[in-house]
Amino acid sequence: MIQSNPLLLMVGLPIVIGILCLPLSDRLKSVAKVLSFLVTLASLAGSIFIFIKRPMNWQCGVTTMFNADNLSSFIGLGISFFAFLITIYSFGFVEKSLGRYFGYILITLGVSLGVAFANDLIALIVFWGILAITLYLLVNMQATESSSRAAKKALIIIGSSDAIMIFGIALIWMITRTFSMDRVRLPLTDITSLAAYICIAVAAFAKAGAMPFHSWLPDVAQDGPTPVTAYLPASLDKLLGIYLLARASLNLFIMNSTSNMVLLVVGSVTIIFAVMMALVQHDFKRLLGYHAVSQVGYMVLGIGTGSPVGIAGGLFHMLNNAIYKSCLFLTGGAVEKRAGTTDLTKLGGLAKNMPITFISCLIASLAISGVPPFNGFVSKWMVYQGIIELGKTGARLWIVWLACAMFGSALTLASFLKLLHTTFLGQRSKDLIDIREAGFAFAFPMVTLAGICCIFGIFAFAIPLSIFIIPSIGQAISYLGVWVPTTATALLMISILSGLLIYPFYRPKMFRSVQTFVGGEDPESLQRVSGVEFYDTIKDMKGLKFIYEKEEAKSFDIYDQGKNIISFFTKILQHLHNGVLPTYIVWCLLGMIGMFFILFFR
Amino acid sequence: MTVVPFFIIVSLGAAFLISVFGKHYKRSSDYLANSACFILLALSLYTLNLICKTPNHILVYRVGGWIPPIGISMVIDCLTPFMLITVNLVAFLIAIYSINYMERYTDKWKFYTLFMLMLAGMNGIIITGDIFNLFVFLEIAAISSYALVAFGTEAEELEASFKYAVMGSVGSSFILLGIAILYSYTSTLNMADMAKAITQKGPAKILPFVSVLFLMGFGLKAALVPFHAWLPDAHPSAPAPISAMLSGVLIKVLGIYALSRIFFNVFGMSQAVSRIFIILAIASMVVGSILAFGQSDIKRLFAYSSISQIGYIVLGLAIGTPLSIMGGLFHLFNHSIFKSLLFLNSGVIEHSIGTRDLKKMSGILYKMPVTGYTTLIGALSICGIPPLGGFWSKLIIIFACIQANHPVLALIAIFVSILTLAYYFKAVTPALFGREDGQDYKSFRKKASWAMNASMIALATLSIISGLMLVPNLGAGLLKDATSVLANGISYANLVFEALK
Repeated sequence: MIQSNPLLLMVGLPIVIGILCLPLSDRLKSVAKVLSFLVTLASLAGSIFIFIKRPMNWQCGVTTMFNADNLSSFIGLGISFFAFLITIYSFGFVEKSLGRYFGYILITLGVSLGVAFANDLIALIVFWGILAITLYLLVNMQATESSSRAAKKALIIIGSSDAIMIFGIALIWMITRTFSMDRVRLPLTDITSLAAYICIAVAAFAKAGAMPFHSWLPDVAQDGPTPVTAYLPASLDKLLGIYLLARASLNLFIMNSTSNMVLLVVGSVTIIFAVMMALVQHDFKRLLGYHAVSQVGYMVLGIGTGSPVGIAGGLFHMLNNAIYKSCLFLTGGAVEKRAGTTDLTKLGGLAKNMPITFISCLIASLAISGVPPFNGFVSKWMVYQGIIELGKTGARLWIVWLACAMFGSALTLASFLKLLHTTFLGQRSKDLIDIREAGFAFAFPMVTLAGICCIFGIFAFAIPLSIFIIPSIGQAISYLGVWVPTTATALLMISILSGLLIYPFYRPKMFRSVQTFVGGEDPESLQRVSGVEFYDTIKDMKGLKFIYEKEEAKSFDIYDQGKNIISFFTKILQHLHNGVLPTYIVWCLLGMIGMFFILFFR
Repeated sequence: MTVVPFFIIVSLGAAFLISVFGKHYKRSSDYLANSACFILLALSLYTLNLICKTPNHILVYRVGGWIPPIGISMVIDCLTPFMLITVNLVAFLIAIYSINYMERYTDKWKFYTLFMLMLAGMNGIIITGDIFNLFVFLEIAAISSYALVAFGTEAEELEASFKYAVMGSVGSSFILLGIAILYSYTSTLNMADMAKAITQKGPAKILPFVSVLFLMGFGLKAALVPFHAWLPDAHPSAPAPISAMLSGVLIKVLGIYALSRIFFNVFGMSQAVSRIFIILAIASMVVGSILAFGQSDIKRLFAYSSISQIGYIVLGLAIGTPLSIMGGLFHLFNHSIFKSLLFLNSGVIEHSIGTRDLKKMSGILYKMPVTGYTTLIGALSICGIPPLGGFWSKLIIIFACIQANHPVLALIAIFVSILTLAYYFKAVTPALFGREDGQDYKSFRKKASWAMNASMIALATLSIISGLMLVPNLGAGLLKDATSVLANGISYANLVFEALK
């Protein structure tokens, strides 16, 4: 008999309440708000409870349906935390169809927890599949033409990866005759188990947004509602995708050099390619979308190194990325809400209007670029160490992976300089003078996340690593380089402070500011340097130009290429179906001849 | 007193009564048809209950008291109630839907007469134990469906019906030829007796020949590629309830049920025939879905998608392991539920918007919520989104492919399911979502009546919960028993003769 269990409750409650929320009309929107606030809060509390009480499980009949071990309870905690913050943020952002919106948010929460806790492969694929459709429904909330196109693309790519994952699970089942994840431990020696691993990895890549299944992510980031982007592609999809990859690589399969190589290649290519694309974007959210792809590369790279420190770095980077990336999207949403656009050419100088948003965005940008002492630096540092350790074991190409990772990090910083400059610094255009700071519902989640970026960076070893990450991978970690974040931060702070102290004494005393004279023209329209064109020169470099043109023509987009191929066959078949009856009869006869041939001569 | 012949008595009787009274008493045809369908559904459920209590799970009725193989027999084993429930459930819900939908045609009673005749034919095919009887019932169902496709009597409908009739007759003649040759070879028409005779006489060259004739004839009724060409014309032209009947149950009973009954239980599945089944299945899956990808006519899209889904069912049956047969049968059930749902939806949509072109529709979800959401559920189920019914049957089929060591087939099945997802979300869902832009909302003239809504909601609910059929103690027994009938193959003959003793 099914008895109540905290894990079942955690998964079931948000789904049930979410379904109940769906039919609420906008007259009852406060009900939807209160319900979703309470449920996400309860879910956060429940996750903390489960995290403390772990391990836990739920038996359904003879099978262990849900299991909360170190890794999954940590992922569950992350999921609930982001759901809670995004719910608060949505109070300020979403105005229409609140019942449906919060309903989908809650269902997504429950289902994601289901993925994290699932111990049964069938339960995993069921929850995983539902997530694809909730992503579709959430992105398609406004149902504009562009957002529904993005939603469709996301659904088709992720749905396809689900189908591929079914194949992988079927292979696992064929080899081991069990669906219980805790009983599966396959060495990747034969082709079947390697195929199974690749299938599972494809699903993880598509969900997290690694190449070559990334192309839905920038579209969704640009056209979807911002809280949804911060909720799913930026945080939950990363947590779940990398969770699945880690689960497969650490528990379900025993990795070897071939499978690690696959991950290393995917990771490096993702980092470099996506960040190069991000450099030349001119939409706030699309730029972030490409970074959301690029950062996945570090996580995949970390897991691909196969050394404990690399894996820990990958998982830590997953957590960090979810934090600063959703923070960045939330700041983007605040800018969008106040300025009415996310087009970088139209923005500028918003730091004066929106200081809190600016500071949060600055911290998150520095964190994502791997600037010490923020959290992104620590996790990248660990990933680098993982790669170096890989090099020690004799792998030849380690220097390539390391170079990709470091170069990608530099380019990230470059593109965020552009983002910060064009949005918050630089000159304001006239329309943006009267913009107000974002309200509490916006500020609270942004500031919380930016604060966590600092805390996780400064106290990296004391808090996140020792509580969440190290127990998850279940191995002791040895560090190569020494990085003492607290001392380093103290030194950094001292140097910055002394700089501030010295600054007033050496400031040039005499200068004057005048209007530029441009022959009577309106200077505003002529001289405003928005900074959007910062890196356009690399677009014109030989070789790179070709790649950029191909990307803009969607030649690397698995979705568009697939569509073209299918359309080609459709045309041929449509041509054959000419509506002439004798043709159809001839087909029947040809079919019979074929069958005769098979039955009599084979 | 036995229940068996009532499946034919009730449906034929209703057809007769409707043709007598329908013309003069306007509402009588509604009442008669709906109550007949209800009785048939109740009888199917009763039969299920009955067969569970019978020892050996088989029940043979002698028509006119003559002992088979001299007389005609009607056989009820575990597969029969499964098929009967599928057919009569769908027919009942479609009959409810037709009450209001068919108002816009003149002579509704003629529609109901033909509808009940078609139903009589299908019920007959399912319960008969005699191969010539099977042919007769098949012709009853097929000919009434030719007439029903042409029911609107517009040029397009007549053309479609003509094509369907010509191709259908070609198929039927091959079936008849096959039956004649078999009769000359085995000197019997009773299927159980025939199976016995074939095993006794051993393999002969005549059997592959007959197999090809049957494969073509029944394959045409099932719309397997390359015998499918009638379907994309016939389904869109018929009135929506008939499209739903054709796609939902007719192609399955006339095609798949008859094929599997004959090839599993009478001939015994051989390696070569199973290979042909697989080739036909793969061809249908791939060709159907690729063609559906280019469609923007809502009913044509559903029609091509039926071809592709029929491929899944045949694939499941063809692999021949118990798990795969179960997957095939389960997909048969699911497909009849969600495809008839989708065709009923398309009827409402066509009725209220006045076009079948999906590119011209938007925002159906907001203006006609019941139609919109049920269409969404149907589409999600056919795409295999968990936890809806279609997901489970596809999952079982894919697993069965892997289990039977056919990973390539599993990959093709996965590829086709991706395509299915793509073409439904490319064409259908934008019509459901999408905001007012450019859409003339005044054109939502007539909305569905409550009876139509009730029928659509019932089908949508069924396609949501049909996954529960896999839960032990709920419906797994039904599926498992139906599977065992096909998996046991030609031991069917022994069972029938034992039951006759």
